[in-house]
Amino acid sequence: MTSFTTRRHILQKAGAGFGALALQSLLGREGLLHGANPLSQRAPHFTPKAKSVIFLFMYGGPSHVDLFDPKPALAKWHGKAIPVWKKEDAFMGGKTKNVAMRSPYRFARHGQAGIDMAEVYPNLARHADSLCMIRSMHAESNNHGPALFQMNSGFIQAGRPSMGSWVTYGLGSESENLPAFVVLLDKLGAPVNGALNWSNGFMPAAFQGVPFRGSGEPVAYLTPPKSVSASRQRARLDLLRQWNAEFAASNPAETELAARLGAYELAYRMQISATECTDLAREPESVRGMYGLDHPVTAHFGKSCLLARRLVERGVRFVQVYSGGNEGPKAWDAHDDLKKNHDLHCAETDGPIAALLDDLKITGLLDSTLVVWGGEFGRSPVAENGKGRDHHPKGFTMWMAGGGIKGGQIHGATDEFGYAAVENRVSVPDLHATMLHLLGLDHEALTYRFMGRDFRLTDVSGDVVKGLLA
Amino acid sequence: MRRLASPEIGPSGAGLIGWDEVREQWAMAFTLKTGLKVSPLHLLSLCILTAQAKPPGMEAGRAHWAFQPLSQPRPPEVAQAGWLRNDIDRFILAKLEAAGLQPSPEADRAALIRRVTLDLTGLPPSPDEVEAFVNDDSLHAYERLIDRLLESPAHGERWGRHWLDLARYADTSGFHNDLDRPHAWKYRDYVIRSFNEDKPYARFIAEQIAGDEIEGADETSLIATGFCRNGPSNDDNMGKTPEALAQYRADQMDDVISTTASVFLGLTLGCARCHDHKTEPLSARDYYSLHAVFAGTERLGLPKGATDARDKAVSDDARVMALIETKPDAPPTHVMLRGLAASMGDEVLPAAPAVLGGRSLNPERPNGRTSMRRGTLAEWIASPENPLTWRVMVNRVWQHHFGAGLVATPSNFGLSGAAPSHPDLLDWLAARFMAGGGRLKPLHKLMLMSAAYRQQSSSHARGAAADPANTLLWRMNLRRMEAEVIRDGILAASGNLNPVMGGPGIKPRIRADLLDASQRNKWPVLAHEGPGEWRRSVYIYVKRQLLMPSMELFDAPTTTDSCAMRQRSTVPTQALVLMNDEFVEEQAGHLARRAAAGAREDLPRVIERLFMLALSRAPTAARLEQALAFIRERALSAGTEEALRDLAHVLLNSSEFVYIP
Repeated sequence: MTSFTTRRHILQKAGAGFGALALQSLLGREGLLHGANPLSQRAPHFTPKAKSVIFLFMYGGPSHVDLFDPKPALAKWHGKAIPVWKKEDAFMGGKTKNVAMRSPYRFARHGQAGIDMAEVYPNLARHADSLCMIRSMHAESNNHGPALFQMNSGFIQAGRPSMGSWVTYGLGSESENLPAFVVLLDKLGAPVNGALNWSNGFMPAAFQGVPFRGSGEPVAYLTPPKSVSASRQRARLDLLRQWNAEFAASNPAETELAARLGAYELAYRMQISATECTDLAREPESVRGMYGLDHPVTAHFGKSCLLARRLVERGVRFVQVYSGGNEGPKAWDAHDDLKKNHDLHCAETDGPIAALLDDLKITGLLDSTLVVWGGEFGRSPVAENGKGRDHHPKGFTMWMAGGGIKGGQIHGATDEFGYAAVENRVSVPDLHATMLHLLGLDHEALTYRFMGRDFRLTDVSGDVVKGLLA
Repeated sequence: MRRLASPEIGPSGAGLIGWDEVREQWAMAFTLKTGLKVSPLHLLSLCILTAQAKPPGMEAGRAHWAFQPLSQPRPPEVAQAGWLRNDIDRFILAKLEAAGLQPSPEADRAALIRRVTLDLTGLPPSPDEVEAFVNDDSLHAYERLIDRLLESPAHGERWGRHWLDLARYADTSGFHNDLDRPHAWKYRDYVIRSFNEDKPYARFIAEQIAGDEIEGADETSLIATGFCRNGPSNDDNMGKTPEALAQYRADQMDDVISTTASVFLGLTLGCARCHDHKTEPLSARDYYSLHAVFAGTERLGLPKGATDARDKAVSDDARVMALIETKPDAPPTHVMLRGLAASMGDEVLPAAPAVLGGRSLNPERPNGRTSMRRGTLAEWIASPENPLTWRVMVNRVWQHHFGAGLVATPSNFGLSGAAPSHPDLLDWLAARFMAGGGRLKPLHKLMLMSAAYRQQSSSHARGAAADPANTLLWRMNLRRMEAEVIRDGILAASGNLNPVMGGPGIKPRIRADLLDASQRNKWPVLAHEGPGEWRRSVYIYVKRQLLMPSMELFDAPTTTDSCAMRQRSTVPTQALVLMNDEFVEEQAGHLARRAAAGAREDLPRVIERLFMLALSRAPTAARLEQALAFIRERALSAGTEEALRDLAHVLLNSSEFVYIP
């Protein structure tokens, strides 16, 4: 992989779009120019199975033992202490006791493959044969902030590039008019860590995720005031580009200045492309209905899912869709009453996710789109406050579908209580390695040099999980 | 590549690579410029970073540089004595010379006055001020400039804002209800006044921690304890059982303890709440010893609508939001095992962390009204025997003037923090600051008078190759303005800045369709803005659930935790707000009219004034030509007035405008 260590690379890379031409000529005169645009497409390491990713992030931690990993033992042990639980597993110590809690939901097997799914995901159940359930996920932190960091960037502290940044860095963008990495938030707002969840870390700012808003204009201030016509705006931006490029060239060590040039040009194009892309009224009534846009419970997440499809269709590389936001129990963080919480969040997401998979199948995009579902951890097999479940990273479920994934299978297993992943364990770096692999990237070769060290999304571990691949 | 995953240790491998390497990695991540993107979450995640690492022993802790008494370093000898302006420069130059690097030449006068005015007041200089300074070649012109700026009321607004970041200031409670805090602004005004008065730092600390129990306690010092109350609260939604309420109280207390330790001491003590700190010589006992200091406190002045029965008695007609004690006896404090109010461990007495001497914080002079524990804590924090306090504060000041701290982790001076780039300079400054009675204005002056500060910000190949992060300060760092400075700078340029200080927060216009995001305590829909909204951004009502987009997009803090260093992102959504916000559009119009007033016929003169108002410098000949051509072309279709608005809009969007030179 090319290493983008020099200022020149970074400066040049960031000067995408309209501005790039002016900047290139400026830098070219000074002999500063070589290398490629950071967002221009780059060849993968090997033939990819998927071109883009839709990561459905169930922020707060959905309960594996109540959704996809049924545990009859919890019913048997209901109200009793289970032998595997340790006091220190609890995040909410005083409230979480070693008292097993049975799932409030009934499970059934679906599809030819007989994938277990709880009754709260009736629509998703139709896609059972497309899903690859990974029941043996495990992560390192039982706290939202660090766990989000790990799921997003491979590392439990802030400062590392997020996987969307890594993928964009590795492959560039297929769209010149939309950001390569888009984040769609819940109506409640961003999850904890805020923008650090889609940060470019130590990479140039061009690789940062761009959040599209959940309501109103998808991007704040996307449209100019009425008095400013398109030609008027362009005339302003032409002069601005020229002056900003000169300023950037006179301060080559400040890579932000070059990133700023690119940001303006992308912003300009986004006004048209993002407006067009996010105008869901352009979709036929049948499609809007399928995503549940006319129903208050599903409308928001349905919009996000439909938008994710439209973004991917237009060449956006990495779309992260959050269900759940803010810092309270409003996310999937079912501390107090699991049933109440998951009833709501499943109702919000079931139809839209099923519709997304249907839609991707109909449009033929599923073959080239990797869909990932999961949270930052799972939930405890024991009860918190009697009816809730605590954070639990030692074993949980995620699923993948689409590009290069062998659907209709269950990979790995937790123990009889759903406490720890015990069979074919999959770590977060393993997951990341597999995702990169499907995109045609070798996780050990996708490195970024920073402070004298080659960094990887998977740091110093991670194995491609061959069993998940078609 | 070593493989660290192991079923016994867990894939983080921290247990295998060991504490030193973890710390090294951690520090390394901060050293480069990108390390500026730091939030308190860094510190938070540190708690979890090394779940399997062995906590450093007390011995390693006691040997840690930041816990040593202030040394009395002598400014070093240097070869190029001609460059020196004051003793700061000796420390800087000695390192540059050792690295074979040259300092950069002094910035030109126009850049210098723009830089120093923005740094001290958060506002650009007026064209008259620029002209006067550029033409004043007397020896003391620059010093007089600094003296004048330090006396400007705008100085407190600028530096107060830095402190409000640390104090996680907001006007609402956050969480789902996001209740209005009708008296929060009084704390904001208190902070601004304190910086303007140059209140001795020890007093500033004492008022904020113990404003109700110190000598001379009055309404002002009561308001100051808002520092302990600014964190998010969720009074009505955390359960009603005694157990739940006790846990909630412990959570609220944790916000106070963690913030106090990180802001004043640069310690990540909050991590020791549930267990001994994994990367610092701080134990859970240390944590609860500080908890004991606050054990007797009650909250005065709850948000409108809050109904916590325990505090209700004092909430209804309180005119301040404060943290107070009403009894001389504080209840006993126990270590809460794993952070749980319900799991009681050993009883602890109020005391400083053991690694810092463990001094008892039981008062020697009880006052009969309160426990006097917080007063004792404040005294200990600000005592000369406590080297952290002084180092941490001078580093914060340095960071805001130079773009990066001498210690790159400004709220973490522990073993997991970054090592200082210039340890002797840090100690020398800290000792000066302490000896000077903890007055900040002389400290500002000292830093700003240095040749190091006056360097150009443009880079050169040799420096960029040898020290790309500019750790050694071979040039000045070019810094993007903070969100507030951009908005205030636009208002200053357009001539519309309303200088009225203080009072309840203002709510400038936000596009109506962006207001859906918050369900409670709604922001008003505003069709037009006027002078009432055109006040400095430090007065914008900080609604946790809906930060002003033009603030949030330019990295204003989220206010959940103390923010020691803002992120500095560069994304297209920022370009959109500067391109499309009606605010910028309208102010560009005002700016154009202001520049054209009385000089409409003389286009070059109008353009020159536009540049002076927006960028504090006249255009180069080439820029003037380009601007003239632009105006002529645009005027054909839109008329000269609109063409000038276009040019003004371009200037307000330009990198030269949003970067401090």
